[in-house]
Amino acid sequence: MKRFDPDKPWDLTTLPTTAGPEGSLPHAPVQKTAGGRDQCFLGASDVPNAPGLPEAVSTIKNWFRASSLNVLAFGTGCGAIELRPLMTSRFDMSRFGITGAPTPRMSNVFIISGYLSTKTLKRVIRSYEQMPNPKWVVALGSCTINGGMYWDSYNTIKVLDLYMPVDVYISGCMPRPEALIAGFQYLMKEIKAGDANGWHHYLENLDWYRENQKKVIKDWDLPDYSW
Amino acid sequence: MFEINDKTNAPARDHGTDILVRLQARFGALESHRQRQDLLRIEVGQDQLLPVLSWLKGDTPYVQLTHLTAVDWIEEDRFELIYLVTAPALFMTLMISISIDRVSATAESVFNLWLQAETYEQEINEMFGIDFPGSPRQGVPFILEGWDDMPPMRRDFDTVEYCKRTHPERPGRDHTDPRTYVGKKFGEKGYLT
Repeated sequence: MKRFDPDKPWDLTTLPTTAGPEGSLPHAPVQKTAGGRDQCFLGASDVPNAPGLPEAVSTIKNWFRASSLNVLAFGTGCGAIELRPLMTSRFDMSRFGITGAPTPRMSNVFIISGYLSTKTLKRVIRSYEQMPNPKWVVALGSCTINGGMYWDSYNTIKVLDLYMPVDVYISGCMPRPEALIAGFQYLMKEIKAGDANGWHHYLENLDWYRENQKKVIKDWDLPDYSW
Repeated sequence: MFEINDKTNAPARDHGTDILVRLQARFGALESHRQRQDLLRIEVGQDQLLPVLSWLKGDTPYVQLTHLTAVDWIEEDRFELIYLVTAPALFMTLMISISIDRVSATAESVFNLWLQAETYEQEINEMFGIDFPGSPRQGVPFILEGWDDMPPMRRDFDTVEYCKRTHPERPGRDHTDPRTYVGKKFGEKGYLT
């Protein structure tokens, strides 16, 4: 690999694209988890290789990411009713740097707010894949965990993380806005620690997720990936 | 519309009895049941349905089809179709009920009387498998997408079995002692910090 030339910062071939085998790079970022999730999440590929710099940059990036969460305006179940008091003056989620976003392209947090019928699941998958990376999923209420009161419904999925990656589950039926705030604070903690990598898990295991999705969505007509 | 007359103590006119008397004078004895002050249930024969409904719409204030739904009486081997017909001027609703055979599951369409019946009949066709010949959008999916089983609102459709076959469950824990479980999982405090 060529050395990084400060006079030619646009020359991307000089940048380390992977951490490489052990010992090959003197200051390669520490891999916290198996599977190289850290590199992808921290954006190590575009960080010049200087002592301590990748860690510092990743910390700063994650701090920024945790402080600007844009929630997609997509209410799937009855839990969406809890998002209104959360957004408005009483609980006011903008105190935490959380705000709403009207389209998938403009958002990075997807709140699955309650039960999810198979018909909605198709739209959710389509919207989720259109969101830019990195993105996180917050699953709200017992319906997303084990089906909740829809455990015997023919048209409602029971385990959400079979179909899409979930970073935070918030239990309750319904969770109060305080519980949502606690869940968001937990999500921020995970993002700052570089551990909220559900979106990366989704890309890595797309075949497995697709297989599960096609089992419940009988009239599958989505593209290979909704870019 | 209603006129409030507080000068006399005459009892208000009972629109339910009125319409029942008129219906029976025209179509013979009909079984009826007064569910509520403003709701009267009338059972008519299958062949009387269109004459009754068109007479109600043409010659009486009962001009509005509020709802059309079906009930599955599997023990008696029949479907019951219920037409809610409302007189907005009288604040009175009639439940016109007919019974149809559960096997052939075919009923006459009232699409020619009320255009909005098209949507009700489409939904009943999907959820109960009842056929309304002549109604548009029969067999077009309304709510379900890619449904490949029997109509789900029929009572012999086994929801739990279908659900177990289609939607996997999350395995639960093998004991129900929360103190032990929570303590082991989250430490002495019992909650996630």
